[in-house]
Amino acid sequence: MNFQSKANKYVCPNDRQLSLRAKLRTGWSAARSEPPLTPSEREAIAAVVKRAEKIDEVEAKRVGRLVARLEGMRRSAQGPAPRTCLLCGEASRLLAPLRTCSICRHTACSKCVIENLTHRSPLYSREAYMCNLCAETREMWKKSGAWFFKSLPKYILPDRRTTGRYLDSELARSLQEAGNSSNDGKTDSEPGSPLSIHAPSFSRQASNTESRKSITSPHDTHYEWSETDILSHGFSGLSLHRQDSLTQRPLAALKRTGSKGSAYSLRSIRKEMKPTTQVERPPTIPDAGFGTLEIKLAYENATSSLAVTVLRARGLIGMDMTGLSDPFCRLEVLPREGTYSNRLRTKTVHKTKNPEFNETLHFFGITESDLAVKSLEIVLFDDDTYGCDEMGSATVALRECTKSPAQLRLALSGSSGSEPTGPRVLLALCYSTKRRALVVTICRGADLPSQDSNGYSDPFVKLHLDPDPYHKKHKTSIKWRNLNPVWNEEFLFETRPTELSRQNLTLTVWDKDYGKPNDFLGSLVLGASSKGRRLKHWMDCIKFPDHRHESWHSLTDTQHL
Amino acid sequence: MAKTYDYLFKLLLIGDSGVGKTSILFRFSEDAFNISFISTIGIDFKIRTIDLDGKKVKLQIWDTAGQERFRTITTAYYRGSMGIMLVYDVTNEKSFENIKNWIRNIEENASADVEKMILGNKCDLEAKRQVSKERGEQLAIEYQIKFIETSAKDSLNVESAFYTLARDIKAKMEKKQEASNPAGARSGAHQIRANEQQRKPTSWLSRCSLL
Repeated sequence: MNFQSKANKYVCPNDRQLSLRAKLRTGWSAARSEPPLTPSEREAIAAVVKRAEKIDEVEAKRVGRLVARLEGMRRSAQGPAPRTCLLCGEASRLLAPLRTCSICRHTACSKCVIENLTHRSPLYSREAYMCNLCAETREMWKKSGAWFFKSLPKYILPDRRTTGRYLDSELARSLQEAGNSSNDGKTDSEPGSPLSIHAPSFSRQASNTESRKSITSPHDTHYEWSETDILSHGFSGLSLHRQDSLTQRPLAALKRTGSKGSAYSLRSIRKEMKPTTQVERPPTIPDAGFGTLEIKLAYENATSSLAVTVLRARGLIGMDMTGLSDPFCRLEVLPREGTYSNRLRTKTVHKTKNPEFNETLHFFGITESDLAVKSLEIVLFDDDTYGCDEMGSATVALRECTKSPAQLRLALSGSSGSEPTGPRVLLALCYSTKRRALVVTICRGADLPSQDSNGYSDPFVKLHLDPDPYHKKHKTSIKWRNLNPVWNEEFLFETRPTELSRQNLTLTVWDKDYGKPNDFLGSLVLGASSKGRRLKHWMDCIKFPDHRHESWHSLTDTQHL
Repeated sequence: MAKTYDYLFKLLLIGDSGVGKTSILFRFSEDAFNISFISTIGIDFKIRTIDLDGKKVKLQIWDTAGQERFRTITTAYYRGSMGIMLVYDVTNEKSFENIKNWIRNIEENASADVEKMILGNKCDLEAKRQVSKERGEQLAIEYQIKFIETSAKDSLNVESAFYTLARDIKAKMEKKQEASNPAGARSGAHQIRANEQQRKPTSWLSRCSLL
């Protein structure tokens, strides 16, 4: 949907689209058919979108609770071991035989297992049990809507001070504390065993540190940085970063609807509304969880230039595995004039959530009349070799710089653009506990660059895991003359979940050529060392095995091997 | 916000301008009816939590503007919705004919496994009826979509329409879980194999027919 509407601006749509449009009478030129929305209309839509955002936040919190609950269960689980229960660690006894879960194939005692009534068919009669963990995962999958969207929607993990760390209460805690010692013992004694099919190595470590901490300092507000925090915060940050499919896309759509001049619609409405409300009460800024940004504005009449000093940002969301980010700011004065884009960026500050930028950037050619109507958009990105992820954005009306204290603190709001744009691929990951392999499905590509003289490419994808003891490399088929190929091909990489958290999946997209070397179209790296969206996808895949996680990822043109 | 729910389903109402999408939603969410026509601006949504087989299902129902100038905004909401209601007006032939276009529109924009349903609204206006119930049923059979005639004014079938759609989505959800259940590992392989088996014979057939 996205690429079609993007393409139709300059490219004549294909026959199917044309015929459809003829029927719908929308016309085939996007610019002609829609008169720009009036301000009141924009406001009405913005209000609805805002209302929807509230609902989505509630939903995200609810999903977060589900995820946290499952994580709690997983942490307190004893881990698979022969002849003991996966969850409570009870050994097999004559009168209470262990059942085998039909999903994860681990043994669990009769208390930790539910009968899978739906599988009463003769085919499955032998294995009509499901361990509580798998049952809970399934339930979570259903309740979160992940069954429909094929990956977890955005979620906000609950604050641990408000809700208990373990939602399944005292029992889980006591179990965990009792279990930790035995766990450690197990890890040491059988390092090679697939101990943590369910919980990859780091989360297990995390659980240990966490429980230790909970004993020593249960009331710390600003706890020290530990692995646990990194993990959970990294995740909550990431999940916040991830956008809901419903709310954000319309903004992009709205943006498209208007024509160039008065174009920028909804986003700008919100922009115009936001700064005014925020600036009036600078000390207490409602922090949406994306952190704050301090800037200074100064306008010079003589040179008609605007100097923006980006001072610092605080409490940014974490993007990488360690919960830190490499932020930089991109500044732009909106609305744009013509095609000329007035964009500036700061330097990147590495490995921090509280960067000190202290950098002054100058916008030239800004008249005084511009000050009244234009606004400054600041978007924070996370610098990464494989594409930049947006961490948050803020907008100030330029008229703010005429007011006396030109130093402003802005609350960053969530990033826009849920789906990546530009060259991208749709990828599904699934760790299959039965096959003990990572199943990678290359679903489709979109907006790939053209490399052949006919304006098309002949794309195919090469993929491998790194490091991989089996040195497996895979290739998809070649889709001839196609910039939006649909592959739907599945590949298997044998690996352990513990390994998975150390491995990277590298994808490269190529254009097949005969008689000369293949042209490079783009690449993508997913793994524990990747960031943002890619990291989230990877971690979701590890955290929730046996489920398909689908996500779009943008390709970068840097070739790294 | 203390009200909890088990599932959140996002539904969408589409159809020509003036067929009564907003009225249907108004009837369902507030159990009221407003005779005057106020064109929807872009989009709107209403919430209602219903009880399905002991599960609390929160329905977030998006009401779209039928007018074309909002098309870009409204189509943006297709992808996120789990169920779509196509509404036409039984007193308006044109709106019925346009259902086909709307279905094409869904195919282009919505996700593939979205639940659909056709509603013939304003069935209380028997005197002005232009589209018979049989034609509606015929169309529904053609596309294999459920069909129901409603009246927002007389509160006819509105509840049942939403309940049916929600139930269908829930059934689909259970089914999907079942499909992925006989173990993720096997299911993947199964699916591929099943597909391949399907593919091969068809390719054979097609080759035969070509010869």
